[in-house]
Amino acid sequence: MSIVITVTSGKGGVGKSTTLANIAVGMADEGKKVVAVDFDIGLRNLDMLLGLENRIVYNVIDVMEGKCNLTQALINDKHSKNLFFLPASQTNDKNVLNKQKVKELLETLKKEFDIILIDSPAGIEGGFEHAIAYADRALIISTPDVSSVRDADRVIGIIDAKSEKAHKGEEVEKYVIINRIKPELVERGDMLTTEDVLNILALPLIGIVPDCEKVISSTNMGEPIIRDLKAESGEAYRHISRRILGEEVEYLDLSVKKVSLKGFFHEFFC
Amino acid sequence: MSFFANIFGKKESSASVARDRLKVVLAHERASNALPYMEDMKAEIMEVIKKYTKVKDIHISTQSNQNIDVLEMEIILK
Repeated sequence: MSIVITVTSGKGGVGKSTTLANIAVGMADEGKKVVAVDFDIGLRNLDMLLGLENRIVYNVIDVMEGKCNLTQALINDKHSKNLFFLPASQTNDKNVLNKQKVKELLETLKKEFDIILIDSPAGIEGGFEHAIAYADRALIISTPDVSSVRDADRVIGIIDAKSEKAHKGEEVEKYVIINRIKPELVERGDMLTTEDVLNILALPLIGIVPDCEKVISSTNMGEPIIRDLKAESGEAYRHISRRILGEEVEYLDLSVKKVSLKGFFHEFFC
Repeated sequence: MSFFANIFGKKESSASVARDRLKVVLAHERASNALPYMEDMKAEIMEVIKKYTKVKDIHISTQSNQNIDVLEMEIILK
């Protein structure tokens, strides 16, 4: 049975597309047939994170409007034969998505893929509604700061209102991923802890991702960090992928382990 | 909490301030966001009323008094 998973957030720039790109690779590497669909219409981004921007010919709107067929628009990942990508269009027309067509597209994708990952636009406007309408699950990304958590709470509050599943009396499964945790700050009492965020949002956790400089260079290269076996954030994304597929994986220990000289002085004088 | 902060008994951590501020703000926002179906409901009610009379606009507001949640509806006729 295939599932539709929407990755969303209230605030923009919290790592939604990065998370999606990484768990898409992660689940494909676990042997699932995965398609990543970019629903952030007008602001195409997922292509660069996956390093596939040069291969785009058609986009998701072309498919929905019948200008091409699905196989023409789907782009296969460079490294994984299990992973496919469907790019967003770059039109300025916000009303180009249509619920019925979204439904038809997802029904078609369900026949071919195990996992359909939808990259939703940030916020609560039009595009979000379409991205969440047919989701079985929603992954809400938040960083541990006040504006991100506040906006996440708002989005969580309206997911069920926009969901077809909820209209039928079922519930969209919602999980939280906390991104860009800085263990030193948490330890110093200058960053919300994982527990704080979960207490406030009142949803189950499915991943914690440490802040990691390597993510920036991997984004520059168009190679998701999950393929870097040495990066801690890559490890975090591998764990999330396995948890989504139903495995129980222990959470990374993000306490500050090494006391570096710099850290020591910082601790003393700041 | 740094060494000197401990000695001089610095105020609470910034994270706990953040936590408390968020709780207050969200308690307020959740109350006003308790009816996410509001817009749809408004449109449907408007349709029904239109069938029987001429309606110009509908204002719906929510109020909480202790344990009672009130939904107030004002229907403005043409």
